[in-house]
Amino acid sequence: MVDPVTQEIIEGKLLATVDEMGIVMARTSMSPVIYEVLDFACGVLTPAGDLVAQMNGITLFTGTFGTQVRALLHRFAGQLAPGDVLLTNDPYAGGTHACDFAIVRPVFAGPRLIALAINVAHYLDVGGAVPGSVPPDATSVFQEGLRLPGVRIARNDTLNEDLVHIIRENVRLPAIAMGDLNAQIATVRIAEMRLLEMVAKYGEATVEAAFRHLLDSSERLARAAVAALPDGDYTASDVIDGDGVIAGPIPVTVTVRVRGDRLEADFTGCPPATPGPINCARGALHSAVKTVFKALVAPQTPANDGWFRPLAIACPDDTIFTARKPRPTGWYYEGSVHASELVWKALAPLRPDRFPAGSYASLCATYISGTGSDGRPFIHVEPQHGGWGACADRDGTAGLIALTDGDTYNYSVEVIEAKFPLRVARYALNTEGGVGAGQHRGGYGLVREYEILAEGCVVHASFGRTLNLPWGMEGGEDGSANALERLRADGGRETHGRIGALAVGPGDRVRLITGGGGGWGDPARRRPEAVARDLRDGLLTPAEARRHYPHAAETGGAP
Amino acid sequence: MIRLATDVGGTFTDLVGYDERSGRIFEAKALTTPEDQSGGVLDTIAAAQAGGMEAGAIGFFAHGGTTVINAITERKGVRTALVTTAGFRDVLAIGRGNRPDLYNLRFASPEPFVPRHLRFEVRERLGARGEVILPIVLDDLAPIAAACRAEGVEAVAIAFLHSYANPAHEEAAARRLADLLPGVTVCASHSVSREWREYERSNTIALNAYVQPIIRRYFTRLEAALRAEGVDCPYHAMLSNGGIATFAQATERPLTLVESGPAGGVAGAARIGQALGFAEVLSLDVGGTTAKCSLILDGRPRLDTTYRLEHSRLWPGYPVQVPVVDIVEIGAGGGSIAGIDGRGALRVGPLSAGSLPGPACYGRGGREATVTDALVTIGVFDPATFAGGRVPLDPDRARAAIAPVAGALRLSVEDAAMAILDVAFANMINALKLVTVQRGHDPRDAAFVVSGGAGPALAGRLGREMQVRCTVIPPLPGIFSAWGMLAARPRADFRATWFAPLDAAALAGAGAGFARLRAEAVAHFGQGEDAVITFDMALDARYHGQEHGVMCTLLPGDDLAAVTARFHATHRQAYTFRLDDSPIEITGLHLVAALEVPTIRLASVATEGRGLAASRKGAREVWFRDLGWTPCPVLDRDRMPVATPITGPLLLEEATTTTLVLPGQSASLTETGILMIREADGRG
Repeated sequence: MVDPVTQEIIEGKLLATVDEMGIVMARTSMSPVIYEVLDFACGVLTPAGDLVAQMNGITLFTGTFGTQVRALLHRFAGQLAPGDVLLTNDPYAGGTHACDFAIVRPVFAGPRLIALAINVAHYLDVGGAVPGSVPPDATSVFQEGLRLPGVRIARNDTLNEDLVHIIRENVRLPAIAMGDLNAQIATVRIAEMRLLEMVAKYGEATVEAAFRHLLDSSERLARAAVAALPDGDYTASDVIDGDGVIAGPIPVTVTVRVRGDRLEADFTGCPPATPGPINCARGALHSAVKTVFKALVAPQTPANDGWFRPLAIACPDDTIFTARKPRPTGWYYEGSVHASELVWKALAPLRPDRFPAGSYASLCATYISGTGSDGRPFIHVEPQHGGWGACADRDGTAGLIALTDGDTYNYSVEVIEAKFPLRVARYALNTEGGVGAGQHRGGYGLVREYEILAEGCVVHASFGRTLNLPWGMEGGEDGSANALERLRADGGRETHGRIGALAVGPGDRVRLITGGGGGWGDPARRRPEAVARDLRDGLLTPAEARRHYPHAAETGGAP
Repeated sequence: MIRLATDVGGTFTDLVGYDERSGRIFEAKALTTPEDQSGGVLDTIAAAQAGGMEAGAIGFFAHGGTTVINAITERKGVRTALVTTAGFRDVLAIGRGNRPDLYNLRFASPEPFVPRHLRFEVRERLGARGEVILPIVLDDLAPIAAACRAEGVEAVAIAFLHSYANPAHEEAAARRLADLLPGVTVCASHSVSREWREYERSNTIALNAYVQPIIRRYFTRLEAALRAEGVDCPYHAMLSNGGIATFAQATERPLTLVESGPAGGVAGAARIGQALGFAEVLSLDVGGTTAKCSLILDGRPRLDTTYRLEHSRLWPGYPVQVPVVDIVEIGAGGGSIAGIDGRGALRVGPLSAGSLPGPACYGRGGREATVTDALVTIGVFDPATFAGGRVPLDPDRARAAIAPVAGALRLSVEDAAMAILDVAFANMINALKLVTVQRGHDPRDAAFVVSGGAGPALAGRLGREMQVRCTVIPPLPGIFSAWGMLAARPRADFRATWFAPLDAAALAGAGAGFARLRAEAVAHFGQGEDAVITFDMALDARYHGQEHGVMCTLLPGDDLAAVTARFHATHRQAYTFRLDDSPIEITGLHLVAALEVPTIRLASVATEGRGLAASRKGAREVWFRDLGWTPCPVLDRDRMPVATPITGPLLLEEATTTTLVLPGQSASLTETGILMIREADGRG
């Protein structure tokens, strides 16, 4: 047992280390997926593959590191040496999709492996069928780019030139990929430096014991939080709007079983893996459930694997949430977010102080690619922010990034226009689409409208929740839909959801619309002042106010 | 002539005066008067006058206050409207849409400072190079002005897309609105920021407008009151960039005052470093609630290029594009509360007992153990003489507060007090490393300047752990921000977003850009062409493809090879690697202009009355973990002999603080009254 003072100091240093890794990555990366979207994560694990510290970035990588690192440790058993750097992007061994390159540094103190540092980052392009490597209509992982499932990218801190050559020759933007590879390696080496400083100061045994205590004490708190819930079976179901290949509805379901201090999320009954790329593999399912479990037991405390020990996740093989090779997983988060939302929806009635009503959910990631005015190819990729559900005690939040992400920025209009042949005609709250009415209403979604300025551009995107809306709670109404609209120069308009290869050019507009969140509580109980305020702010029209809140129309309905 | 500075803090207003003729120092303290801070300022001046300071001899007045930051944090600015490009009135509300508190599913984004019904749109559009795509429709402003009048709006901010590249539309709109709305403040975004990113610039100008009428009224009142007191000289405000500006200049851009107090401390540390001949200075100011640290290179405070008001690890805050010294602030101060958390770890801060109820030993109702209680318990602070005897401390209450922590840790009360300090030290060291090691600077090259009420008690050990060249306790460490304002020079920062791949032509273009900024600087200071102004140029530059980059110094006469080499080296220093084959791009120009004026001279201290025996006040036992209770001589800093190293353990007392010198260290006072602590073995 480490004394509590050393414990606190070591935990503080661990967090400072992963934060430092994150700052270096975000500030040196050449890819907007990294520096704007922050689609990467850094962490430190024990030699057994238990996560002890993770930077605060996005939720997609909550607890994916353990499986990935254990797969690598298994593959390289007995062969690791100081100065090694490993690389994997295998979705089926704890990873997510082929775009996510995990760089792992085994950290040795003398001859002994004392920890592993990891950095997983979404590469802008890793080859495959389309720019960005995630065709929304892929039917096989072989359309989703280069796969390197467990290789040694450096030995003695010297890059393996053959592997580098393979990567350079198989991606569309090799300079950016090499920039990100350099940045990733820099971060895991920084982590190694900090961990060795820690070991030099406190000794291996103390550091190991501190890691153990961190995991055990987190587990204890998580068990206490679960034990405070009433035992029982809690179910939820939902429908996913197509997979990019087939348009039909995909019903999904969960049973959450609370028994004492243990919680099991059972996805038995979910459909088999679908042809399209919104499947996720088991690693991403675990991450999705752990995200909501963390929100339940300890939303504001740093993450480590101890928190997740009371959690069990059951799901048969090769379902939509446990896809196996060669099922496509390029848009895995469009599937995995529904696993998260199911657990959230099942638990919301138990803990209204933790969970709001349903949100726009889908990241609505949009790729616009083509050739820039400098003659070079460009790929503009961005997630869309949208409306979140109302809480039990207040309105939902407008224009916020989806559950799958986190500290993820929207893209500056001024920066986009300086970089790409695009002009933004409008970036505003989606008042036309509206929100779920309720005693507390949902938060508003957004509208971002692009004018395409260059010939021969292509849009692809995967918008979920285009038909099945964000769910209301306790009598609150459902929210509104996401949609991708194309407005033709001739005045025609098309609406899309998950769309591959939409050809666009000058005169076309692409309008990206995200929905409003679900409401909470009966709209008849909404305070008239709140209705009046929304009218004054132009969020509601008088007609809408009369329709949703007739009781308040007297006081608030005057135009 | 007397140089005078006043610094308004949360509880106290501090005054420091320095008579350059005699070397005499005036100090005064008064309670801060929150509603109108000029009251507390005048109280300190009256107190200093009672102590012999002549108002008529004051030739320089610098002022740091919290009027701007208070108006923002308490949401007490004026009713403000925002005028934007058509299609973009919601940019201010949407912000960046990030959720740093990522597992809190009830997260709510920061509320904008302008509500939606006061955000208006005008038809106009510029492109990214500043070209006009849609000429501005000025007639759109008439109904907006009418709505503002009807709503009682007192300030209007204007933020159009790409105005950093071409301010013409904003200027035209500002002129029209000023005509339509006499008496209403009108601020256009380009007048405060020439940087891209529409949300950050909109937020900057909205907040600037929100506080401008408040600061104008405040400065008007303060000026009148000062004049009535016979203080008749140029009045300067302390800026967040570590420099000063006239009240008139500060009124135009009040947002540049947001961090004026902490910037005073940084300016002071820079002056101390200069006096001692150190190129690298690491400053630490330990207050009641937080500790703030900052790195100063070659006498210039570094700036934070992404400053955010109210930001935390879990909260996006409000980013603003004004130059603010790069300060890392952590919740570890004298009042920081210690406790055992749910997992059995000892935590110190960020909760603080503040000044009310204050640490348990203040006897004002505080029950929880704080850093100050730990320092009293191990004997560093003398209960009778703490804060010049103004706040008698109760050591029994300190021990009683620490007892539960000791019980939980199964330690003696003394060891528990040490444990609390250990955690506070670790937190501070993480922050100190963040501004040094993690940004590629070696603390072993730095002078470590420590101030604040609790700072000097902790300085010896922090300096030892950071292995700094020497630890420095400046004059008046307890009111060092005010002292620092005496040391600040008029400074203005000019930043411009300016994009070009780095080549010889770009360097020529950047040179022309800097010439324009230099002309703006000369005009800003208003002292004519002959004014002596030092200029520091830097390029914001990055590897092609990167979004962020590094600030790379540009020296007059640099050729392409020199700039390229310096950029690679700077990138490597900051981020551990360089990419020699990648093309480099310039994204911005940054000019720091400082007016060469005399600042505080560090006169030699009088030597009469000083000496080892004269300074000896007695002895007190201090608890050291390895030695147990150990007798330490107590000396009066104000009577210490000059240039005479004295070996620790040692306590040096002065009116506002106590310095602990550890066994194995020695302390020496320079001729100019600066206290230096070094390791006796010559290391550190």
